[in-house]
Amino acid sequence: MSEILQIESILNKDYESVDLVSFQEWFENVNKLSKLSVGIIVGPSDDVSLIKDQLDCIELIVLDFNNFDDGRGYSQAYLLSKRWKFPGEIIGINAHLDQLQFMIRSGVTSYVLLDSYLGLDEKDYANGFSICYQEAANNSGLQKKY
Amino acid sequence: MYQYSPEDSNFLVERVDQFEKQLKRHLAGDLDDAKFKSLRLRNGLYMELHAHMLRVAIPYGTLSSTQLRSLASVADKYDRGFGHFTTRQNIQFNWIELPEIANLLRELSDAGLHAIQTSGKATRNITADPLSGLTEGEIEDARPYCELIRRWFNLHPEFSWLPGKFKIAINGAKLDETALRIHDLGLRLVRNNQGQLGFSVFVGGGLGAAAMIAAETASFVEVEDILSYLESTMRIYNLKGRRDHQKKLRIKFLVRELGADEFSRLVNEDWQQTKNDPNLKLNLVELEQLKKDFALPIKSLNLESFEEKVDFNYSIWKKNNVRRHKIDGFSIVNISLTKLGAAPGDATSEQMRILADLAEKYSASELRTTKRQTIVFPYVRKDQVYDLWQSLEKYGLASPHQGTLAQIVACPGRDYCDLAKAVSIPIATRVQERFNDMKRLLDIGDLNINISGCENSCAHHHVADIGLLGMQKNGEEYYQITLAGETLHETVIGKKLGPSVSGKIIVDAVETIVNVYLKNRLDQERFTDVFKRIGIAPFKEKVYE
Ligand code: HEM
Ligand code: SF4
Repeated sequence: MSEILQIESILNKDYESVDLVSFQEWFENVNKLSKLSVGIIVGPSDDVSLIKDQLDCIELIVLDFNNFDDGRGYSQAYLLSKRWKFPGEIIGINAHLDQLQFMIRSGVTSYVLLDSYLGLDEKDYANGFSICYQEAANNSGLQKKY
Repeated sequence: MYQYSPEDSNFLVERVDQFEKQLKRHLAGDLDDAKFKSLRLRNGLYMELHAHMLRVAIPYGTLSSTQLRSLASVADKYDRGFGHFTTRQNIQFNWIELPEIANLLRELSDAGLHAIQTSGKATRNITADPLSGLTEGEIEDARPYCELIRRWFNLHPEFSWLPGKFKIAINGAKLDETALRIHDLGLRLVRNNQGQLGFSVFVGGGLGAAAMIAAETASFVEVEDILSYLESTMRIYNLKGRRDHQKKLRIKFLVRELGADEFSRLVNEDWQQTKNDPNLKLNLVELEQLKKDFALPIKSLNLESFEEKVDFNYSIWKKNNVRRHKIDGFSIVNISLTKLGAAPGDATSEQMRILADLAEKYSASELRTTKRQTIVFPYVRKDQVYDLWQSLEKYGLASPHQGTLAQIVACPGRDYCDLAKAVSIPIATRVQERFNDMKRLLDIGDLNINISGCENSCAHHHVADIGLLGMQKNGEEYYQITLAGETLHETVIGKKLGPSVSGKIIVDAVETIVNVYLKNRLDQERFTDVFKRIGIAPFKEKVYE
């Protein structure tokens, strides 16, 4: 198993001082909120490019992976982490076990699994491969190939 | 022939291990049907009317004799002794038991074969010209590029959960045997004015109920930049593609809604951010290695003194099935699997073993599969073509149908597919019976008939000379006829002839169309050329008379 397992569940971290607001709320109150310690909850259909110039004022970003087949969260994670170098945590919530490998390698830094997966061995699903085929998309300590 | 490295082979096994765990959870009730469906599809597994169907990739349509034997063994052990070669360089097994799937996939992985992303909303098996490397005037063999792009999109973290399926074809030859402009994304190898190699990119093609021809989004992307360009294309699709409407999932709908210009603009804007990222450059060292791995295993031969055998049946077969090779002394041999009454593309395990043995003896142990569901032997010495033919004759594989109307492409249709509106294979059989006369077939010449059992268009009926699409009318099976579609020289969607025709008389209609063609044909004119010249009216008149 590789280093990706150092990524831990949000539950282990102390974010009590951070207020979470929705994407909508952020825009409505951006002047007030940007001075506070705020995290934003981004839904799959929210356009993350709208916050790319405000990332300095955002403490953490929460992406919702509840819909198993909706792949937009992976592109959002990529844009935030790799393209715009968001320095804070990118937390994947409502995560499905079978999606962890994609979430983590796209740039999600920690996650919260849906309750239904409790008790299953995350290690088996967070990766399970000894190589990956995308050097640039590699965020996981996996051995690179090509 | 190119083979996977130990690391690549290991990856295949790891993928099976992971799928096996998911399957166990599903069988234990810990993974619901909907999620398991998404996961199994990404491993090539469908649920059909009667059993599970597994689609195994034949990357860029190239198989070794060893691989074909492995497929034969799977057909015997896990299926009912046959497999079905598809129009997109895959092979399907129709009678798979769910609990056996992991063992089956492990067996395939020993031969470097897999079912990864052969289905589901991800990038599918990338297809190439089955004659890659073999024909004159080709810009380059597309297969090394297919392989590098295949690797890149193999479990890609960002693009494994797209709005819809994503099919890519790459062509490096003059004629387009890949039908790239009816793919979600088609790449054509080209050289620019400075002689540099690159790709023209076409996005948003597809058949189905709304048939569309892909638009050119870039006329020249340098080889080195192709991965970043493809990533940007997929990123726009992933973020903006329709996910809300089951019938609008594919990229063609996004391209249509935005307009091709706006779509390309968005792609370009994204691409400017990544184009210079060294991590996204195509690995040119690896590319050179792959070019060596895919290099033809033959050198030109001087066979001037060789005299061709004179034999009537042989010469008919040769005329239809043997093509010119760019290397002196060699021929390309096409083998039709078509047999009266059997599904087009079906091969028994015995046939697979025979073909594997013959390829070993006559074709450097390599075979190719084509979109007309035939098998190609790419490297047959000219002085051995006759011997090969005799062997094929002996095993009933010397059907001279290739390049005639009898080489029909048909989907599984209502006999196997739960989406079907009508049968396909029995119609193909009836057409073959009607035209079961070699002299007549030779006279008609090359004419494509493709039959799909529903609008999903698995048999590509839109781009055939004569396309038949099954539908239901008052509880009866009817067929809509389209004429003069094509992809080889240019991409044209066939024109609808008129009201659909009852299954009872559809073969008469086909025969009428063929007769109108013959009556109006000048010299060796192709069907599409006659159609362009005389229009649809003469066909319509006779069919609905
Ligand atoms: C019986 C099992 C099959 C089922 C349930 C099935 C289902 C489908 C569906 C639902 C689509 C439309 C997808 C879309 O447009 O988003 C489709 C497209 C397609 N299928 Fe199949 N199929 C089956 C067998 C086959 C076979 C045997 C072949 C090859 C001979 C094939 C080749 C294709 C191709 C080439 C397309 C793409 C057509 C296009 O460009 O739009 N399928 N299939
Ligand atoms: S065209 Fe329709 S009937 Fe034929 S295989 Fe595809 S989905 Fe089934």
